[in-house]
Amino acid sequence: MGLTRRDFLKASAAAAAFAATGAAVLKPKLVEAADSGIKWGKAPCRFCGTGCGVLVGVKDGRIVATKGDPAAPVNRGLNCIKGYFLSKILYGKDRLTKPLIRKGDKMVEASWEEAMTLIAGKFKEAIEKHGPDSVAIYGSGQWTVFEGYAASKLFKGGIGTNNVEPNARLCMASAVTGFMTTFASDEPMGVYDDLDIGDTYFLWGANMAECHPVLFSRMIDNRLKNPNVKIIDFGTRRTRTSQMADQYIKFAPQTDLALLNAIAHVIVKEKLYDENFIKKHVVFKKGKTNIGNGLEDKFKFADDPKPMTFDEYKDFLKEYTPEYASRLSGVPAEKIVEMARLYADKKRKVNSLWTMGFNQHTRGTWVNNLVYNVHLLTGKICRPGENPMSLTGQPSACGTAREVGTFTHRLPADMVVTNPEHRAIAAKIWGIDVKKIPEKPTYNAIEMFRALDRGDIKVVWTQVTNPFQSLPNLNRFRKGARKGDGRFVIVSDMYPTKSTEVADVILPSASWVEKEGVFGNAERRTQQWYKMVEPPGEARNDLTQTIDLARRLGHGNLFPYKYVEKEIWEEYRQFTVGGKDLAPYEAYTKARGLRWPVVNGKETLYRYAEGYDPYVKAGEGIKFYKNKKDDGRAVIWARPYEPAAEAPDKSYPFWLCTGRVLEHWHTGTMTGRVPELKRAYPAAVCEMHPDDAKKLGIKNLQKVKISSRRGTIILPVDLNGRGKAEKGNIFVAFFDETKLINELCIDAYCPISGEPDYKKCAVKVEKA
Amino acid sequence: MPISGIVLTCLAAKVDDVALRLAAFDGVEVHGVMPDGQIVAVVEADTVQGEVDIVSQLHDVEDVITVRLAYHNFEDV
Repeated sequence: MGLTRRDFLKASAAAAAFAATGAAVLKPKLVEAADSGIKWGKAPCRFCGTGCGVLVGVKDGRIVATKGDPAAPVNRGLNCIKGYFLSKILYGKDRLTKPLIRKGDKMVEASWEEAMTLIAGKFKEAIEKHGPDSVAIYGSGQWTVFEGYAASKLFKGGIGTNNVEPNARLCMASAVTGFMTTFASDEPMGVYDDLDIGDTYFLWGANMAECHPVLFSRMIDNRLKNPNVKIIDFGTRRTRTSQMADQYIKFAPQTDLALLNAIAHVIVKEKLYDENFIKKHVVFKKGKTNIGNGLEDKFKFADDPKPMTFDEYKDFLKEYTPEYASRLSGVPAEKIVEMARLYADKKRKVNSLWTMGFNQHTRGTWVNNLVYNVHLLTGKICRPGENPMSLTGQPSACGTAREVGTFTHRLPADMVVTNPEHRAIAAKIWGIDVKKIPEKPTYNAIEMFRALDRGDIKVVWTQVTNPFQSLPNLNRFRKGARKGDGRFVIVSDMYPTKSTEVADVILPSASWVEKEGVFGNAERRTQQWYKMVEPPGEARNDLTQTIDLARRLGHGNLFPYKYVEKEIWEEYRQFTVGGKDLAPYEAYTKARGLRWPVVNGKETLYRYAEGYDPYVKAGEGIKFYKNKKDDGRAVIWARPYEPAAEAPDKSYPFWLCTGRVLEHWHTGTMTGRVPELKRAYPAAVCEMHPDDAKKLGIKNLQKVKISSRRGTIILPVDLNGRGKAEKGNIFVAFFDETKLINELCIDAYCPISGEPDYKKCAVKVEKA
Repeated sequence: MPISGIVLTCLAAKVDDVALRLAAFDGVEVHGVMPDGQIVAVVEADTVQGEVDIVSQLHDVEDVITVRLAYHNFEDV
């Protein structure tokens, strides 16, 4: 009996799986036959910030297969379940293929020329009448490096406004300000290798099993080989991660601040700290307290750091006894002591991991500072297998939003607009008059959309993101966008979304391997890919769209490139020399990503550590050299517990927490297109504790009305779901565009980072 | 019909039991059982939806710790 193509494909599927386990490939001839006619190219995954490597198979101009890239160090040949849908996200039936212009209530097909002429006209009109700060661009951590760079250069260096923000403000900003205030440089010292070689993992409000499955699997693989490995899940909700953890420790929302201070309290009281490390590498500081929640329009905050001594810091900690933290958090005092001892155990390699639980927090910067405090007190940092690591949610939140610096206050590579030297460097590289770059930041993301609502911003262009589903207090912003009076909203996307609903012009975009790109992941790994297939219809790269606008506004001279991507890269790279050090473009076309700083062709595993980081001199051991003003030391911050912006009360007795589920990614623009994923997790549900449901007389799957002071939504209750809410808490995922849970969320934000708190607001639940 | 190659992990001591449980699924062929707790399987279904349904169920099989995807071909879908 002859072999069919099906047999070849089966052999190929098995071979790839065998290879990923480390076993030899069986039947290599069959695999070869299966590959005939398929051209393979490398790319990072399009979804989360893990940055898994994917091999994309193209036949007759269409993607027909994908493989986990066996050469990719992040995922070593294996992808998570979302890997099933990587290519399908490009082939949804309702892909946008033509520009659309609003004519009354209808969106009407138009040519690119017509659409871009209209857009350029609106930009010119707003700038002329209201000044450059009346126009804005809002992008994302899914922008390629080139797209983010071009947007920043056009708006800051051409139009002359700092109205540039990414949706990363809603997800990573507190991690950034945490890094900046503690180490004076963004992004982690550790790498994913720590998941393989550490033995103690504290997860803080991070559901890694569902949201970073490949990284979670690396940690679990480590535990399978090493029974000494412990995983501690501190959370406000029981998840798939909690089930796999050695201990799940539930705590009341917002009390992570008190818990981390109590852990530090025990470490100090029992003298478990590393005195030598502290003497050499640490300074102590305190900042302002009672700093507000950013609820008022045009909220402003500037911290006022003051030095303190170790003894003064010890005094600050006195109040945070395990008993006090226990009263606030509900965690037993003895458990807090046990955890502090585990953190400080000299025989253990300890890591902390977190995502949105810390970052989407009205004290997000503080709680990031506090987890660093514990690592700095114990000296468990900058060493293989023991580091604090902030995980990211988007594929290039680090590479684009953070490294290119597509925030209102930022310039590329950790530089800021408020610093005249930084502006001068940027102006020189960009070949512009330094006066063109405004010295004052304008609006963070929330303030940007508040400004659109007020009418201070007239024209806003969003690319690769869906703010009119993802912003908190959504009703205000959706209404604001359609208030008229000169407001004009442009949305570039690949599919219709809740944001295209409020748009005046919709531009169809190319996505992922329909264009050339670079993303940067959470472990400083920069990854490049080439265009592999054509975008559908008239869809275009966002980069091309931005440069088209630049030309029409008379800023074409800023983009004089022939091989646009490569030349942008080499220009951008100049910003990074002597700091974040990115490699020449060619290096990335071959490698499965490189972790910066890349000096003399060598990537860096551990930042600030001798023998790893090229900027640490022989004999220094560890040097936080980026923090020049504190003599190369990191900062331990005295940051108190302060309550949430809105806590449950008699009228609104439940905490509402929002988040993601395994099957869907963010607002579901891509994953919602895949019927299989829709079926696996078709619609949002309200996770609730069975005791709470019983009290309210609510049965499983019965519909409930959930209301906050800002909005109301009706959802079925899920008492047996994958995630289990704790008493007094409910959880709703935010992917479902037919149930906009963010209408209920409060637009309170961390005064230092500007990141809103999607994890805590007060709601009531009634039978619908 | 789409085809995928997957790798499951479980405790080494449970690997044979888990492999037997997997083999009972329609559309799942166990191709390899590693002594360290890894299992290689090929999943087939009429549609990608069918594949995902199977893989979602595999997540819930007793003693299965992780399920990951190595290869996916859907050229005739």
